[in-house]
Amino acid sequence: MKLAFVDKLTELAEADPNIMLLTGDLGFQIFDGFIEKHGPRYINVGVAEANMIDTAAGLAHVGRRPVAYSIASFATTRCFEQIKLSVAYAGLPVVIVGAGGGYGYCENGPTHHAGEDLALMCSLPGMTVVAPGDAGEVQQLLSQVMKLSGPAYFRIGRGREPVYHADAPVVLGKARLLQQGERIAVLSTGEIAGQLVEALKICRDQDMSPLAYQYHTVKPFDAETLAHIAERVDAIVTIEEHVPFGGFGAQVACHLSAQSHHPVLKRLSVADEFVLGGPHKDQMRRDYGLDAQGIAETLMALWAAPAAVNTAEGRQ
Amino acid sequence: MNIAKDNSLGGTDVAGLEATARRIRATCVQLAHDGKVGHLGSALSCVDIVLALYHGWLRVTPETADDYHRDRFIFSKGHACTALYAVLVERGFLPVEQLGRYAVRDEPLSDHPCQHALGLLECSSGSLGHGLGIAAGMLYGLGLDRSPARAAVLLSDGECNEGSVWESAMFAAAQKMENLLALVDYNGLQAVGRSDDLMGHTSLEEKFQAFGWGACTIDGNDMGAILKTLKQFPLQPGRPSAIICKTRKGAGVSFMEDKVLWHYRVPSCEDLGSALAELGAKALHMQESDQ
Repeated sequence: MKLAFVDKLTELAEADPNIMLLTGDLGFQIFDGFIEKHGPRYINVGVAEANMIDTAAGLAHVGRRPVAYSIASFATTRCFEQIKLSVAYAGLPVVIVGAGGGYGYCENGPTHHAGEDLALMCSLPGMTVVAPGDAGEVQQLLSQVMKLSGPAYFRIGRGREPVYHADAPVVLGKARLLQQGERIAVLSTGEIAGQLVEALKICRDQDMSPLAYQYHTVKPFDAETLAHIAERVDAIVTIEEHVPFGGFGAQVACHLSAQSHHPVLKRLSVADEFVLGGPHKDQMRRDYGLDAQGIAETLMALWAAPAAVNTAEGRQ
Repeated sequence: MNIAKDNSLGGTDVAGLEATARRIRATCVQLAHDGKVGHLGSALSCVDIVLALYHGWLRVTPETADDYHRDRFIFSKGHACTALYAVLVERGFLPVEQLGRYAVRDEPLSDHPCQHALGLLECSSGSLGHGLGIAAGMLYGLGLDRSPARAAVLLSDGECNEGSVWESAMFAAAQKMENLLALVDYNGLQAVGRSDDLMGHTSLEEKFQAFGWGACTIDGNDMGAILKTLKQFPLQPGRPSAIICKTRKGAGVSFMEDKVLWHYRVPSCEDLGSALAELGAKALHMQESDQ
């Protein structure tokens, strides 16, 4: 996703001379193409995320369209007040790009985990929050995000995420249909969509066909599609690489709870704990039931008895 | 009230500006009393700096307030905004009547400066440590268009506790931002302590110099000294400039001077009367007949 992001941004910057790229001293070599074509519009601010965001805000104040890039944990938690006040409160079109959002840098330990990035960014008024699932979604969503008049958070993977196919178009603010289905629905956000697509294949072998959507846009939340889904199924599963609070599953829970009758909800996420021991991302996913097999097992259990699942439990 | 619109440096009437500063101070005291809002000591300390900037440095007038190439003023110590509001009125950027509605809900002159309420502001402020980075971003963007615009940022000494100030100081020096001016209102008192105690009795001038800035220290309540120093901008070619303005918190009102109490205290009716008598001036929005 990183390279897809840089390639697309470099292309967009050719058409829009106001696009600027700021980095907090990260992205070794990946920005060389951008620098070659748009030299002065690239700024390495140093390991100084607070200043990166304030500087980006200043650029936006004078009509530029800055994109501020860092590893997701540094791009969000380290400079949260700058994002809140200088960008969101001001309503400026600054795009914050968090690489390895969620647990992309899993083996690097909790300093590099951003399991709260969606929660933090969704908490800010006016912030658009986007978590594409693969390189294709990155490219299509970046074009749309760069046209927004307000701020956005753009969570991308660390690299080498599997590419998947879906016929539905990628429209900012609209959940993307991955598979038509029945009885239960499964909704993902971010790069875990790749695991979901694999899980759906396992389900197919078991003659199960859950309805599946990729919510690449977490905010503004596509409540219309959720309402449509809720009318059609007995149970909904959400999947995200995030802490259990304040992220995508929490948004779904919020919307469903406002209705008098709704399907059973099961939220798959990382647990309310720091992920210690530096596991590889694949191992972490297995530990929390977020890998294709784990997701498939959850779906199979629900398929067998959708109403019996306790929404409070989980694999945590 | 004489609303001057000529920002040229020549022939500045220092004595006249000192008299104007007394009216600005009277306005700050009146606003704090009427609005029941504190931070008066912080406003009084920086009045001379803000007034000198608008009369002797900033190339912006009410007519050019939307001009892309105007100079920008970032009031980073937002809590002291009564000084800014009063000077904006004195310079004709705002109608005088607005002073009568300070800190009233949905009115332009809010408790802390809000750009949504007052579009004239370059940015909102109130949380410390943001202004220098925002100004640096503005100048970088303007520089790509080869704009001659400059930016001045007013910081408090307590604000210099914030690490983000030094991130921005490093960045501005690395980018050789000669068009950037930082003024530190060094009034020596923070919300609950003496800034020297909290900063280890070290020199702000030397800190800025070590970060690659041109820097000097002056008496920030001496109108002539401020104007003279502003004329020397940039202090060093190819570098951003920092003027450390040694001031007195509560300057101009003896019973408020250098008292940490007046960071938060709202003046009573009696305090207001005493302060106005000592200043020998009325607030800009108070008619002489009210006396």
